[in-house]
Amino acid sequence: MNLQMVDPRIKILLLLTISSAALIFPHPFSLAALLVLALFILMAGGLKPVQVWVKARGLCGLILMLFLIQCLFNRAGEPLLWLFNMPIVTDFGLNTALLVSLRLLIIVLSAMIVLFGESRDYLLALTQCKVPYEIAFMVLAALRFLPILREEAQDVICAAQLRGLRIKKTGLFHKLKVYISLMLPVVAGAIHRAEQLSFAMEARAFRANSHRSSMRRLRLRVVDVFYALVILMAVIAIAFIPLLTIN
Amino acid sequence: MITVEQITYLYPHSDTPIFQDFSAHFKRGEIVAVSGKNGSGKTTLSKLLAGILQPQKGSVCIDGLSTKSQDLFEIGQKVGYLFQNPNRQLFCETVFREITFGLNNQGLKKQQATEKADYYLNYFNLASYRDDYPGHLSHGEKQRLALAAVLALGTDYVVLDEPTIGLDMLRRRELGELLLKLCKESNCGIVLICQEAEFMARYAERELVIPV
Ligand SMILES: Nc1ncnc2c1ncn2[C@@H]1O[C@H](COP(=O)(O)OP(=O)(O)OP(=O)(O)O)[C@@H](O)[C@H]1O
Ligand SMILES: [Mg+2]
Repeated sequence: MNLQMVDPRIKILLLLTISSAALIFPHPFSLAALLVLALFILMAGGLKPVQVWVKARGLCGLILMLFLIQCLFNRAGEPLLWLFNMPIVTDFGLNTALLVSLRLLIIVLSAMIVLFGESRDYLLALTQCKVPYEIAFMVLAALRFLPILREEAQDVICAAQLRGLRIKKTGLFHKLKVYISLMLPVVAGAIHRAEQLSFAMEARAFRANSHRSSMRRLRLRVVDVFYALVILMAVIAIAFIPLLTIN
Repeated sequence: MITVEQITYLYPHSDTPIFQDFSAHFKRGEIVAVSGKNGSGKTTLSKLLAGILQPQKGSVCIDGLSTKSQDLFEIGQKVGYLFQNPNRQLFCETVFREITFGLNNQGLKKQQATEKADYYLNYFNLASYRDDYPGHLSHGEKQRLALAAVLALGTDYVVLDEPTIGLDMLRRRELGELLLKLCKESNCGIVLICQEAEFMARYAERELVIPV
């Protein structure tokens, strides 16, 4: 079902269900099935595989690194792979590595569900779920702020490099130190700007009327409810997959 | 010489190119003003010159070396770059450190770096803020500090994105004189993005207008 058309409340519900299921489910099989489900929702929702890849690409390195770290440094359990009589990979290590990376991947994919649709719709969805308008507005404003913050951080890093700072080809520890010291002014600037933004908003009469009405109201359609039910059932079914394999 | 050859550039997620088959060159010992309407791509061009952005087609070469093949810190040894927004390039704890940051990276001895930094602090009338936090300066003061930090490096080229914004009349003239001096004495090549006809007419030898 095209995700653009799905009620935003349903999308938020799906995001919450799938990502919490990803944290709760203890077995790699059910997580793998959940991953397939999340991918299926996105594809059926109108996202092309290439687009998913482009959006998730940046995280793949991180996930791979987490996987390797868990794999190599988790010493509990039966060894599976030896190198000169030294066990390097254990079954327990491999299991946790799989769990961690699958969970992260599922959470990222399920977050993509809410990328469909306009932020105004989510504002409506949140207020109709009795979230106070101020809070709903601020959550969305904060989210829109993130790309700007990233751009700013990139500019600061470029400026430092153009004044002779070497970041590439240095140790990991040094890199981390440099990034932290460069991020401080960005964060300080963001806090300062948030304060100014609040003045600017009040100057344009934000909160002047205690009750804010909107012309449009979201209505749940039967299809939306049906769609949500089907996916919830799929998630519950996935929870039982490990039981099948044990028997 | 910085040469821009037949470049095409468009921002990711946009479909109208800002530049298409655009060429230009900037020589040492010359002040070139770059002007154009808001949104015509002046800042984009300057970022391409400093290697912060890379063209999709064509090339930007600094003294014959493509910006693609160099790290930003290597480019920074030859080109000084002033961002349009001074907030985005001040990242040290004090005004003084802001200027010595680049000098230390160039490998200058502590004594030399201090002398040079103090010279530029005095030139831009910032000496009384030496140990203050740069974030607390006024806009014009931040702009002067950012200029000081870039010009103190003494690079062969400098690319300045609207350096006169926020400066008062006196400071504007002082900046112009300093640019002339850098150009004459150190044979520096200066790319000056500017909207003010008067300032350009007075200090620039050539004007490059970016069509929309
Ligand atoms: N990060 C970006 N992503 C997409 N488009 C951008 C981005 N940055 C700038 N643009 C667009 O590119 C065009 C040129 O921008 P640029 O900042 O180079 O203009 P400018 O000539 O410096 O304008 P000004 O005189 O206001 O400083 C503008 O239309 C702008 O909307
Ligand atoms: Mg600009």
